[in-house]
Amino acid sequence: MLRQWFTRLTGTHAPSDDDIARELRDHLELDAEALANSGRVKPSDVPATARRRFGNVGNVSESVRDIWRWTWFEQLAQDARHGFRALVRSPAYSVAVAITLALGIGAGASMFSLSDAIHRPFPELQQDKLVWIVQRSPTCPTCDQASPAALAALRTRARTFAAVGTAVWRTTLRTADGSEIVNGFTVSANAFAALGIPFALGHGFAPDADQSAAPKATVLSYKFWHDRFAASRGVVDSVITLGGSPYTVIGVLAKDVVFPTAADVYAPIVPATNAATDYGSRYLELFGHLTQGASLASAVAEARTISAQLGRESPKTDSAWTLVVRPITQYHTDDTVIIERIAGVAVLLVFLASCMSAANLALSRMASRRNELALRAALGVRRWRLARHLLTEALMVSLVAGALGLLLARWGVTAMRDAMPADFAAYVPGWARIGLDARTFAFTLVAAVMAMLVFAAIPAFRATRVNLTTVLSDGGRASTGGAHGTRTRATLVVLEVSIAIVVSTGATLLTRSVRNMMAGDPGVRLDHALVMHLSVPREMSDTARWDFYRRLDDNLRATPGIRAAGVTSTTPLSNNFWGTSFDIPGRAADPGGQRLSAIDQHVTPDYARAAGMRIIDGRGIAATDDARAQRVTVVNQMLAESMWPGLSAIGRTVTIESVPWTVVGVAANVHHGGFDEPVRYTIYRSVYQAAERAGDLAVWTDRDPAAMADVVRRTVARTDPSAAVGGIKTMLDMEARHVSAFRMMAVMLAVLAVVTMTIAVVGLYGLISYGVAQRTREIGVRIALGARPRDILARVGGGALRLTALGVALGVLGAAAFARLLGAMLYGVTATDPRTFFGVAAGLLAVALAAALVPAWRASHVDPTVALRNW
Amino acid sequence: MPSRSSDKLELLQGTLDMLILKTLVFGPEHGHGIATRIRQSTEDALVVEHGSLYPALHRLQRDGFISSKWEKAVDKNREHKYYRLTAAGRRQLVQQQSKWDELVRAIGRVMRPVPEG
Repeated sequence: MLRQWFTRLTGTHAPSDDDIARELRDHLELDAEALANSGRVKPSDVPATARRRFGNVGNVSESVRDIWRWTWFEQLAQDARHGFRALVRSPAYSVAVAITLALGIGAGASMFSLSDAIHRPFPELQQDKLVWIVQRSPTCPTCDQASPAALAALRTRARTFAAVGTAVWRTTLRTADGSEIVNGFTVSANAFAALGIPFALGHGFAPDADQSAAPKATVLSYKFWHDRFAASRGVVDSVITLGGSPYTVIGVLAKDVVFPTAADVYAPIVPATNAATDYGSRYLELFGHLTQGASLASAVAEARTISAQLGRESPKTDSAWTLVVRPITQYHTDDTVIIERIAGVAVLLVFLASCMSAANLALSRMASRRNELALRAALGVRRWRLARHLLTEALMVSLVAGALGLLLARWGVTAMRDAMPADFAAYVPGWARIGLDARTFAFTLVAAVMAMLVFAAIPAFRATRVNLTTVLSDGGRASTGGAHGTRTRATLVVLEVSIAIVVSTGATLLTRSVRNMMAGDPGVRLDHALVMHLSVPREMSDTARWDFYRRLDDNLRATPGIRAAGVTSTTPLSNNFWGTSFDIPGRAADPGGQRLSAIDQHVTPDYARAAGMRIIDGRGIAATDDARAQRVTVVNQMLAESMWPGLSAIGRTVTIESVPWTVVGVAANVHHGGFDEPVRYTIYRSVYQAAERAGDLAVWTDRDPAAMADVVRRTVARTDPSAAVGGIKTMLDMEARHVSAFRMMAVMLAVLAVVTMTIAVVGLYGLISYGVAQRTREIGVRIALGARPRDILARVGGGALRLTALGVALGVLGAAAFARLLGAMLYGVTATDPRTFFGVAAGLLAVALAAALVPAWRASHVDPTVALRNW
Repeated sequence: MPSRSSDKLELLQGTLDMLILKTLVFGPEHGHGIATRIRQSTEDALVVEHGSLYPALHRLQRDGFISSKWEKAVDKNREHKYYRLTAAGRRQLVQQQSKWDELVRAIGRVMRPVPEG
């Protein structure tokens, strides 16, 4: 393969063995004819004489083959030696090209590992057999989850794939000194077997494990087994207490298996008796494994058929919903795709810019090597050989750049992985595994070779067209590479400038967006605040739970370092809340039939103080607002202002499920989702009046909040050993969780923007100063004939301005397209923000002109006597 | 018809390449034809061992001085592998020939010195 490529490159094909044999045979025949015709040999002796005159046929064909055998390799070695010497002779050039290309390759390799991790969520499984099944409707186009009825229908009716369901299962593990929250999934009993998930120890669930009468069994993840049970083999068949019930450990998943996202424990889904008819509640995540011989298309079609059946069976709930089968490579959120697409475009641009920059450097070097090349061409070195020589040289630089690029990628990949908080990473199965592997190495190698082709093809192509007479008749001085070479280089510089504009505009938009987010008011205190999940046993009665909340409040209040603590059903910025619909008595129904809905937050009286919520009217929830007192609520400012515009909300009534609640206070708006999402109506009620269970705890400390985590954990365990806390985070972590994806993108684009900007400016500087150097004599003549420095400056500067302006114009067009892609990630700044576009364009123009002024000034001060003396 | 070796001239190292290139100046030829031409134009004084011709031909081809192609002979319906000179081969021949001329002159001066007058 390689050999063929090389011989093709040289334009000389090694003859096949058959060809050689045929040629020698032909010779013997011709010789025999000649001998026979001469009449000097007896006809019977002819063949023997011909063979004798020829010599040993075997030896000859062997030595002919030898001549071809090592040619390509020897020539390669020769080219490599030449190339190495040429590169060492001009170290500045070699280093500049290697670094420029390394930047592009490094960015590309980082991006490749990112994409690879996203698109191969389960590398341990049969990727091409796995599918992800989502249930969507026109009203919920990004919904993923499906109903128990849909799962039941798929399991019994689908022939092209085996369907499995999973549901989030947050439970507690009882330990020696209390309980802790563990994250798990309940899965269909057949899940591990159907998807082919490997085990390190033990086995998966029995096929009937999801019958409610089956004994409770659990499977541990490798990491949980490692961290919590010190990887002890004795864990299998032992009994652990999860959520207050005994479970037998029957297996441990193989190392690195993450399914469907990071988890600690698994148990079979125990379906409610009505599961097969529960169409309305959609909480299951569905996967499938294609059966032998079934294609993705047939699975898609079958799911559509079953979905239509569901629509007929339960039109009220399912007529608008469709089951969509997607390949597992698409198992990620739409946000992930947007991030990937933006990063991908930016990285591709950087890669192109780095290749162009390298080509530019190579072109200018080629100009100075023109004499050498012309001489070699004159000495009979063939054109292909010359080109190959240059390509080999380029390949050597590219491989060095590839190695450097891998180092950069290692740094970039680690930076990306660490930029995202652990719980974001938990939602992208491959995130924790982002790293450099054999595939990244292969990618880098391909990228290096591609870079070689892009950056060497132009110069090599041009160099081999060296016209001997023009070069040598110029006495070797006119080495401009001709007008055409300058035009190629100018085109490259224009493109470099436009790429710099695109990437810099994107970086600026995102940076401003992140700054807007950080400046946004979350409505609560972020410093010295801790939030965590709080779990109490399911079977606890309301009164027992209220009693626990009261004792916990007392115990926490008495703990040194804690200023206030409150139990709540959701925490700010968590993006994890329940809603409720509500009515305002006397308010006309919405014509569209849409009911009013709000975030329904249940809190203990101290929560407002602990979270740092601001009450702006009336009062907050008080300790006296208990089960015996009047039902009261605090609403947020947004709800108060839109329900009772211009009026006080205090004393008004909000009806929830036909029960009236009296508004006693108005709180400042709090962001429950990300900063880029709108604030929602929020209704606060006391946990002692609303019967929902609260699952979170907020703590305000006067010490380092992270250091208080353990104190809080112990206090909860002391109050009730069956209660557990988990997922402890500071509010600053919560903020970071929302901002970090945006910040990562902003930082990434900013780094790339600096790279492209540098490439553009260096390219422009190089081109202008090269042009000035070439035209020294012409400028000398002009000055001698009376041109003033100002004229020369304007002339050279004007050329630079034209190039930059063209690049900026192209770049702004590209940036507009890129910004549209960014639109979904922007907050507080539009994708067409004129200030950003104008600012970036003006900034680049200024920097580019400054770079061009240096050589222009030099040109305007050319000493005509010096310039003309060397004519 | 074995002949005494002293009757024939041994080919000097490297001169075979030159002879091949020279032969091809008159047009494309196949291996057997080249051998025959060399023998005829030296009036049988130089006999090229046929076998040694082929490594030389392939080396010249590899170095780009000649190219080859299977072609039908003008009058026959049979294909032979014809070699022809490339531009590089022509330059090579010129170079080798001038070197050769120099060598012949130098050796000639040693062997048959011009009497000084």
